[in-house]
Amino acid sequence: MHEIALMSDIFTIIEKDWNKRNLEPVNKVSLIVGELSNAMPDALSMAFDIHKTYNYPFLANEAQLVIHIEKALAKCTICGESYEPDQRISNCPNCKLPSGKIIQGETFKIQSYESRDQE
Amino acid sequence: MTTSKTIQLNEDVLADNNQAAEYVRGVLKDKHIFCLNLMSSPGAGKTTILEQTIKELPSIYRVGVIEGDLATEMDAERIRTSGAYAVQINTNGGCHLDARMIAKILHELPLEDIDILFIENVGNLVCPSGYDLGQQHKIAILSVPEGNDKIPKYPVMFRRTELVLLNKIDLLPYLNFDVGVALEDLMGINPESSMIQLSAKTNEGMDEWISWINKSYNQWKEAMK
Repeated sequence: MHEIALMSDIFTIIEKDWNKRNLEPVNKVSLIVGELSNAMPDALSMAFDIHKTYNYPFLANEAQLVIHIEKALAKCTICGESYEPDQRISNCPNCKLPSGKIIQGETFKIQSYESRDQE
Repeated sequence: MTTSKTIQLNEDVLADNNQAAEYVRGVLKDKHIFCLNLMSSPGAGKTTILEQTIKELPSIYRVGVIEGDLATEMDAERIRTSGAYAVQINTNGGCHLDARMIAKILHELPLEDIDILFIENVGNLVCPSGYDLGQQHKIAILSVPEGNDKIPKYPVMFRRTELVLLNKIDLLPYLNFDVGVALEDLMGINPESSMIQLSAKTNEGMDEWISWINKSYNQWKEAMK
């Protein structure tokens, strides 16, 4: 359950940026989470709700977490076929060899956060 | 009047950890210390392998160990008894080590007197694999009693490590563990990984592991020149 620690890092990054701007509290946080990033969306959502109870000044009570899943994708170095990997990530379904390289699915980023401008 | 505003960040969540990992890597490079990060489930035999490794390594190597556990100083004490420098990190419930913890404790070790630093991560086959600690190599330890399903069930750990130590092979005659299938699963996840079969209890296969350390250490030393 390292998602609690990950969420703490996410909050630190957002808070640091938010402090530099003149904004209302954040009401939406958007993440990109790769299927192979080792971060579980459900656990991240739970960690977000837990962190929200600490009443961070930069975060609105009604703040929502939006998770964009990045699909895992591999490409065979022999036949060039792209495929969505299963448990045996490197096995090309065409060549039946462990010849696949991951080309997508490991991203774990804060895409953006949303708030209201203070006029 | 207020308007909604979206701030695009596109920032890697682990950026802060990775910065700390680079700091650790820099310190270790300055001090000519070769570092291995050992990860496994609880009870796979990390500490016993380390105790045996410290005994079996040629005496030219001076060994340091960072022990990661949820609680207690037990493992660090075991390692000190084996004749290596050891410091303990207690994560107080945290399920993994991160580079900031390593950076904080690193200077408690006598870095001038260490050639190889082992980091024994918290026993967990999921969370530790995501964190760069500033090591040269990440190593996964799997033990025979855990069963064949661990490699396919925890693919990220085996994708992100360069070597698997299959421990407790002295139990193979008594358990339904198929080494061939384990190798096939490992290659299907990470064809660049390799497996060394050993038993820290009987010492079988330990020589191959010691050779791997020797070879990797020398390659790293060569690359440092």
